[in-house]
Amino acid sequence: MAILEVEDLKVYFPIKAGIFNRTVDHIKAVDSVSFSIEEGKTYGLVGESGSGKTTTGRGIIGLENITAGKILFDGVDITDKKSKTKDIRRDMQMIFQDPYSSLNPRKRVFDIIAEPLRNYESLSKLEEKKQVQELLQLVGLSPESILKYPHEFSGGQRQRIGIARAIALKPKLIIADEPVSALDVSVQAQVLNFMQDIQKELGLTYLFISHDLGIVKHMCDDIAIMYKGRYVEQGTKHDIFNNPQHIYTKRLVSAIPDINPRNREKQFRFRRDVQKEYDESYDDYFDDKGLAYGLQPISDTHLVALPERG
Amino acid sequence: MWKFIVRRLLITFPQIILLSVLIFLMAQAMPGDALTGVIDPNVSLEEKEELRERLGLNAPWHEKYADWVGGIVQGDFGQSFRFKMPVTELLEQRLMNSFWLSLMTLLFTYLMAIPLGIISGRYNDTLLDSSITGYTYLGFATPLFIFALVMLWVFGYQLGWFPTSGSVTPGLEPGSMEYVISKFNHLLLPALSMALIQTVSTVQYLRSEIVDTKQKEFVITARAKGASESRVYNKHIFRNSLLPIAAFFGYEISFLISGTIFVEKIFGYPGMGLLFLESILLRDYSVVNAVVLIFGVAAILGALLSDIILSIVDPRIRIK
Amino acid sequence: MEANNVNIVEQTQDPSKSPSGLRILWRELVRDKLALFSLILLTLIVVFVYGVSIILDQDEIVTVDLFAIHEAPSEDFILGTDYGGRDVFGQLIIGTRNSLTIGIAVTLISGIIGIAFGLVAGYFGGHTDNTMMRVLDFFQILPFTMLVIVFVSIVPDYTILAFSLIMAVFSWMGIARLIRSKALQEKELDYVQASKTLGTSNTKIIFREVMPNISSLIIVTMTLNLAANIGIESGLSFLGFGFPESTPSLGTLLSYATNPQTLEFRWWIWVPAAVLILVLMLAVRNVGEALRRATDSRQRRG
Repeated sequence: MAILEVEDLKVYFPIKAGIFNRTVDHIKAVDSVSFSIEEGKTYGLVGESGSGKTTTGRGIIGLENITAGKILFDGVDITDKKSKTKDIRRDMQMIFQDPYSSLNPRKRVFDIIAEPLRNYESLSKLEEKKQVQELLQLVGLSPESILKYPHEFSGGQRQRIGIARAIALKPKLIIADEPVSALDVSVQAQVLNFMQDIQKELGLTYLFISHDLGIVKHMCDDIAIMYKGRYVEQGTKHDIFNNPQHIYTKRLVSAIPDINPRNREKQFRFRRDVQKEYDESYDDYFDDKGLAYGLQPISDTHLVALPERG
Repeated sequence: MWKFIVRRLLITFPQIILLSVLIFLMAQAMPGDALTGVIDPNVSLEEKEELRERLGLNAPWHEKYADWVGGIVQGDFGQSFRFKMPVTELLEQRLMNSFWLSLMTLLFTYLMAIPLGIISGRYNDTLLDSSITGYTYLGFATPLFIFALVMLWVFGYQLGWFPTSGSVTPGLEPGSMEYVISKFNHLLLPALSMALIQTVSTVQYLRSEIVDTKQKEFVITARAKGASESRVYNKHIFRNSLLPIAAFFGYEISFLISGTIFVEKIFGYPGMGLLFLESILLRDYSVVNAVVLIFGVAAILGALLSDIILSIVDPRIRIK
Repeated sequence: MEANNVNIVEQTQDPSKSPSGLRILWRELVRDKLALFSLILLTLIVVFVYGVSIILDQDEIVTVDLFAIHEAPSEDFILGTDYGGRDVFGQLIIGTRNSLTIGIAVTLISGIIGIAFGLVAGYFGGHTDNTMMRVLDFFQILPFTMLVIVFVSIVPDYTILAFSLIMAVFSWMGIARLIRSKALQEKELDYVQASKTLGTSNTKIIFREVMPNISSLIIVTMTLNLAANIGIESGLSFLGFGFPESTPSLGTLLSYATNPQTLEFRWWIWVPAAVLILVLMLAVRNVGEALRRATDSRQRRG
């Protein structure tokens, strides 16, 4: 069963001008996006910066106002901000991109991780402490560090604290907004593997937002590619990586670095070909405003933005 | 730019209306009403009540407010019950005195601020700059009334260079040369006292502006192109730093207002500030309200003027 | 370089303390000679003034003694007497205490109003912010001195508390503006967003999450405001619209100088009060400026 269903989501930011600050136009950060995530799966949302992937995630959890569309969570309509009741918030959590600004520098680790617990569960001081320590252990940090401040940890450790906070309430869905892009490459894999472990352990569903196709390939079951607020292509991992249809997707896939030096020449030629195809067939894949067309199904799982035929 | 000015004007009117409502409500809270001043104590209570009714003093507050505003628009601020004359007449002379005092203060303020600020900024971290900075440091912390007292004590009483009270030597023919000189003479010390304190923030602003601008790319480029030092200052630095200062004078009005209250009191200078204090003590509230309203509107218009000038001079502030 | 080492040593010694905020403020304060001197001086004045005024009997000092009018400084009266034969030195002590107390009270009250206003406007932003800022603009443009004087003269039960409240109502705007612009920046940070997704209420986020992060700005502004408020209070008392004469303030002593005779010949009545006001304001300001430098890492001295 789908735990999250998004239908025709639109998030527009107004452009204001004039004497009365009237809205004269909109920036269409997210423009008619639809998808659904199955329970226990990881859904990857990929795009360059400004493509609207982060806004999509923030719109779902209620950090941005939704202009139009419908969001169903566990079968319940949570489109309206007011309908994001405490229970919904409890089941849907977020991991932020920047582990430095996402932890309040004035609070101890204990208070940071206990914040959701205090909002939802009335635990005794002792139980609370025990839970926080368990959570710390779960994310691989020493339970003794509860009295430390965030600045005493490394970036990777801080992100683990952020994850501990997000899973404290045992949510069903976690929106992970570029959870590792602020980390050193050496730490990224560590955090990602840990996220996968925890997913199995707690049966989590991830909405995984990233600009890095390599990471998405490693993490996700289903993948969507976004460009200028619209979906370009959506499909299973296999669909996207082995059978990319849209020229934009092809270009992204071809850009994934290959560490084998023997393939260097081949890789180079491949990229040049893709670039050539991209330049030649740009008009076939984007409308006159440079936006992607509507999605057309090409298999049960695979959708591609193509001009309507005929 | 026009958009900004129109939007700014649209904010100004509600401000003035709110101010008038506030003053009106204050007036309602004050003991006594217009009749307290007009009528002699022998009139019986019934007659007073009847008069009240006839004059609309028992009307609901919004009608009274409309009446009051209507009067003001026609220049009628009511009667002063202590001086037994229309407030408007009473204000006239005082307003002129305060106007000259303010004008003189502004003049001195800029006459001092501009050279001091420029010297301080151009030769920053020299001995000269340090002494100017020292002056601004002290001036910033010194309350105006203490400084004015000291000025009066030193230059008025100890050295006897200036008159110690009033706005003109009594007995002189108005309009004569001596009369004008005497007026000027009475203005000097109060205006100087105010200006010496008021100028401090402008000097500080100008100094830091110039020090900042000196390090900007376009100034360095101008120097690199071989422009002479004075040309760099005249063409590049002043244009960027001086113009905003010219626009600040509207904001200075609120400082001038509170300044005149203290300075006029200390120097016994018969302007609006002193009138305000006297009327408060005499409980002559129609005068008090008129003075507060005039000063309040002056401050609002001053800020409006400064905002508009600034928006012309500095396009950055228009964005908001 | 040396400073960095000190920093590291301190951290390793006491890893549970946050180095941000208060500690930096304190370290910077101690390193700034002038500010340190000012702080010590202030502490001495405060201790002396509050200490001595416990011993002094305010009623006795403000009681008129017609046999000792306008006496010059002598052994009986260190700083002479005023026109009512009251001991100037005693009034100076009690006046300083009263001025300080009211200064602190006004700073706190206006601070609380301003901080709450600024936090709410900045945190919510948008229309809320817009409307609140228009209100603030209006308050800021009002002729402060005049309105305080009018209110002081029409309030029926005129007490020290009433005076503080009147002053605070017309002087919360500066700090509100500063706090608001800081809160506008702060609310964009992820920790605030995180708190929202964790189900923390707005009130809690504003006061428990955002406010602690701008505490140094609050401390600095409040300190600088204290200096200004001491000046404003003494100014109003000077005009006769501060405390009643039975409760002397430093401004009350200065107001005796509106009598030309006193101004010209009896300096002992008003000069000490003038000097004290100046010293107090400068000292508080020095401390405040040092704190301000400490919050701005580019200007730090240490």
